[in-house]
Amino acid sequence: MEQEHMSQNWNSEPGTLGASAAADLHHHERPGVPEEIAPPRPLTNSHWTTPEDQLSDSPPLVGANMRLTPVYSSAIPPRGLSGLIRRAAYKIPEHRARRWMLLLLADRIDAVEHEPAAMAKVVGTLGLVIFGVYALRAARRR
Amino acid sequence: MKAVTYRGPKRMRVVEKDRPVVEHPNDIIIRITRTAICGSDLHLYHGLVPDTRVGATFGHEFAGVVEEVGPSVESLNPGDRVVVPFNVACGTCFFCSRGLTSSCENSNCSCAIGAGAFGYSHTTGGYEGGQAEFARVPFADVGPLKIPDDMEEEDVLFLSDILPTGYQAAEMGSIKEGETVCVFGAGPVGLMTMQCAWLMGAGRVIAVDRLDYRLAFAKQWAGVETINYEDECGGSDVVTYVKDITDGRGPDVCIDAVGCEAKGSAFQSFLGRSMLQAGMTTALTWAIQSVRRAGHVVIIGVYGPPWNLLPIGDAMNKGLTLRGAQCNVKRYMPHLLKHIRSGRLDPRAIITHRFPLEEAEEAYRTFDNKTDDCIKCVLVPNAA
Repeated sequence: MEQEHMSQNWNSEPGTLGASAAADLHHHERPGVPEEIAPPRPLTNSHWTTPEDQLSDSPPLVGANMRLTPVYSSAIPPRGLSGLIRRAAYKIPEHRARRWMLLLLADRIDAVEHEPAAMAKVVGTLGLVIFGVYALRAARRR
Repeated sequence: MKAVTYRGPKRMRVVEKDRPVVEHPNDIIIRITRTAICGSDLHLYHGLVPDTRVGATFGHEFAGVVEEVGPSVESLNPGDRVVVPFNVACGTCFFCSRGLTSSCENSNCSCAIGAGAFGYSHTTGGYEGGQAEFARVPFADVGPLKIPDDMEEEDVLFLSDILPTGYQAAEMGSIKEGETVCVFGAGPVGLMTMQCAWLMGAGRVIAVDRLDYRLAFAKQWAGVETINYEDECGGSDVVTYVKDITDGRGPDVCIDAVGCEAKGSAFQSFLGRSMLQAGMTTALTWAIQSVRRAGHVVIIGVYGPPWNLLPIGDAMNKGLTLRGAQCNVKRYMPHLLKHIRSGRLDPRAIITHRFPLEEAEEAYRTFDNKTDDCIKCVLVPNAA
């Protein structure tokens, strides 16, 4: 690991940025003004009207009211119990809070079912709880 | 290839993964030479962004060398060095053709909240990120910017996100000559915002944070006034203090460069940690409450769905202009490259730590815990 010292190009007094001050003072010199480019035009180097479609044997989940886009990621397809929950969540429109709650739940389950160390911790904890309950019951019977 | 992968909240691991392949005719594969950890990666790291899957590779700030090009790629060749915007954007859809690449409708089929983004959960399309030795970059003719021969990757690495994001934030504030701008958050993107506020003619720039070392850096590097809200407000709250030092009226522009993990309010922290809202809106609340009437409030801190608690009545009654956006990175790259070349901006100066990719876990811990006066971490893959 290397720690560097901060820039030599700094200023010591507030409000004294030297040459850089106000270089973009005029709004028309700012790239994002106006917010929307008018008339609309394709960005430089794009040479299609509609992009070609990506072909894949494993298309991703598509959200409710969405369509498969021309490009997508096929990485980390849903799997296991968390995958089932994700599939259910994707059927719910995104303006419904339960979609996001289900996805957060799926994330937590995913972190247990696909991470051996976390799974061992959960199994261990559950085992201890079950053992404790049985031990308590046995003690009461006596 | 080696890649940093998410294993659950606050757990990252470097593992061997399959090298990415061209999946679309306009894809390229790049060999990563520099990749950074962004403050917004910490929201993923903490498990706050829905649909963050175990095994995912984060990283949306990266630069590298083109290794392979798809059959329809016209503007790039193997061997070209490129820096890649975090947005995946087609360049021709309704939004891209208006310059709004962060809203591209051809790159995210998960949901309609925005375009695809690299390494930022399946909520933004599930694209694998750049914290790896290689990455697949779709729409290669649209996004990546060739790095000039006389510049190094680190000179332009932050054109991928934080510099354009900071610039767009200042721009959304419609800063006029002599105005006072208050930036909440002195992390990397906040620092960029402060520099860009000066570029747009601000008369005063004030940074608010709770970490002295970051405020000291902001004061020295960006030449701003600083407020540590934990111990410099003279016994009053930060909103009152900010108003007091701005003629009682408040700043003309307030910018939230913190997002959903803001500290400073026990009530907000309770709501956020108990998942009753999507994180903490403390910084944004302060921004709305501090800004002068009819002022501008800009949101560049990241918030997740579904909802947040905000003083929206204050915003309405004060007649505020409230703006926020993911950055349309590509639109700003050429302009900001000129500023870097001219020396007006020196974004690489904020890099305080470099780690080998294999030590990414340690890098995340250092950045997350703000130890060792960490401001910005860059990962260096072995393949570089």
